[in-house]
Amino acid sequence: MEHRTLAGDGLPALIDELIKKGMRVIAPTQRNGDLAFGQVSSSAEAVLDYFLCKRSAKEIVFPRTEAILGFDRSGGEVKVEPPSMQFPETVVVGARPCDAASLPILDHIFTWDCDDELFTRRREATTVIGLTCTTADNFCFCTSVGLSPDNTAGSDILLTQLEDGQFFVEVVTDKGEKLAAELGELFREGGDESARQKAGEKARALVTRSVDVSKAKGWLDDHFDDEMWESWMTCLGCGACTFVCPTCHCFDIVDEVQGLSGHRCKNWDACTFWHFTVHASGHNPRDVQYKRYRQRILHKFRYYKDRFGVTLCTGCGRCSRHCPVGIDIAEVLETAAGSAAS
Amino acid sequence: MSKGLQDIARELLEKGEVQVVVGWGAVKADPDRTRPILVTDPDEVGELVWNPRCVNNLAVYLTKAKSDVQALGKAAIVAKGCDVKAITGLIQEMQFSRDDLVIIGVACKGVVSDGSLWQGELTEENRDLKCRFCDVRTPRTYDHLVGEEVPPVDAEDDWKDVRELEEKTPRERWDYWQEQFERCIRCYACRQACPFCYCTRCIADKTLPRWIESGQHPRANLAWNIIRAMHLAGRCVECGECERVCPVGIPLNLLNRELAKEVAVEYGYRAGYDSEAPPPFATYREEDDQSFIR
Repeated sequence: MEHRTLAGDGLPALIDELIKKGMRVIAPTQRNGDLAFGQVSSSAEAVLDYFLCKRSAKEIVFPRTEAILGFDRSGGEVKVEPPSMQFPETVVVGARPCDAASLPILDHIFTWDCDDELFTRRREATTVIGLTCTTADNFCFCTSVGLSPDNTAGSDILLTQLEDGQFFVEVVTDKGEKLAAELGELFREGGDESARQKAGEKARALVTRSVDVSKAKGWLDDHFDDEMWESWMTCLGCGACTFVCPTCHCFDIVDEVQGLSGHRCKNWDACTFWHFTVHASGHNPRDVQYKRYRQRILHKFRYYKDRFGVTLCTGCGRCSRHCPVGIDIAEVLETAAGSAAS
Repeated sequence: MSKGLQDIARELLEKGEVQVVVGWGAVKADPDRTRPILVTDPDEVGELVWNPRCVNNLAVYLTKAKSDVQALGKAAIVAKGCDVKAITGLIQEMQFSRDDLVIIGVACKGVVSDGSLWQGELTEENRDLKCRFCDVRTPRTYDHLVGEEVPPVDAEDDWKDVRELEEKTPRERWDYWQEQFERCIRCYACRQACPFCYCTRCIADKTLPRWIESGQHPRANLAWNIIRAMHLAGRCVECGECERVCPVGIPLNLLNRELAKEVAVEYGYRAGYDSEAPPPFATYREEDDQSFIR
């Protein structure tokens, strides 16, 4: 696709122009001392000189809670109301490549045997403008899962800041092309490709952690039972890792009732919770914590890969950063890969 | 300092006095961070460390909520004075008896939870709030002590954080907590890291009936966070683990301290100092004031 350069004063002008055109713009923004993806009403509210938001971008298309239907039996009969499927045209500005890449990974599960329309309609209404990374830490390992800090996966348009401060624009998808056409003069024709290459190399060099994920998978394939898992029994059984994760997607369907009316809701759930697999009989096949943690790893690096051909992880490192007991997912994979070698 | 700890741990394991040592070890990818480790082999005691980045309150592994750890056998636990307060509370609540475990106390001058403030050493500025008026820098009970005894900090808890909150109007306080709880993702890291959240089935996990909605919306988030705070009143030892582990940075310890202050003022009681003390909310006396019951 064609390359362009962001004109004017760069990102602020882009955000303000999108808002002016009536689009809902979501960007990293400071809310009560916490940086999170949220709707902004002007470029001044967006924080784009950032590392990562604590919470991932998945909730833009997969909210923490949402009603899949409403019900009301106050009139005697049960009235059922389907959810609204009207989603405003939304542009996400400044998603890091590990956040953007989670969206096409999630497409597999949400369109697998049937369309989860609440997901797919939101997804259709959302255009993603990614932003190449300028920082990384020891928990970042995107380059080990086939991505990189300047990867275009999941972005409809990717912006990369060049050494001279200008933003190089890569239009990646048709959706991106459509948005670029609407933005017209903001995207100036032509771009310094060699400077883009240089910025990409610099970004990729930021990620120093390297794990042989395919070797780890080879080990995971036939080590469902192994004492390695027991070494992670320090896992506390919270859902912090799964809830900050851009690709964890489990949810529970529950009725939330107030009086005679209420909503049937799709609420985030986590395989690390003890009650995730409790049967009605009381039996729990994952009876101790390390088995629940094992499920998280196997789902990401074995089952999802086997079923859909992609790994359910973008290497963002959030789970490791936020784990209350310092369990580092890359280290778990390193251990698995190391065991495969011996 | 870590060496002394390792020697004690080795001896306990070799003599068979304990089967597992619950301690802290370095995180490989970030040696400035530590995490809980379970050492069962005397040859692996070299992994144990003790430094101001040993923030986890390991008492959580002594509760019935972590029964798989107890299945390893009798435990020795490495504990700071504030962690020992949690152990004291658990003994008071009859979760285990003092003889059931070996306490390897560590003399502590403070810890640093916020990694971004850590520059390789503990300072007046980077230490945790709870360390600024710590009266248990030498644990109040232990079987072995690592390091020399440290006198308490010469400053009493001034409740400054709580008083600032109390100065707000009820409406402002309501708005403040609504804003904080709005971003709660209901991951229950606060609960899972808490030594006193040891219920085998938390009210938040009950579904018949469902007392607290699992949806992450203001109504449910408020219900969850208030209920947890109330369940900890008079029990919480203010170790601050809930606040430290919260992935979205909700100041949960402020809420706990608000209640701890109420209990201190109304009952003259601070949790975690005396395992024989009658717990204020679990003790019935005929002469208790009942005038408020109408």
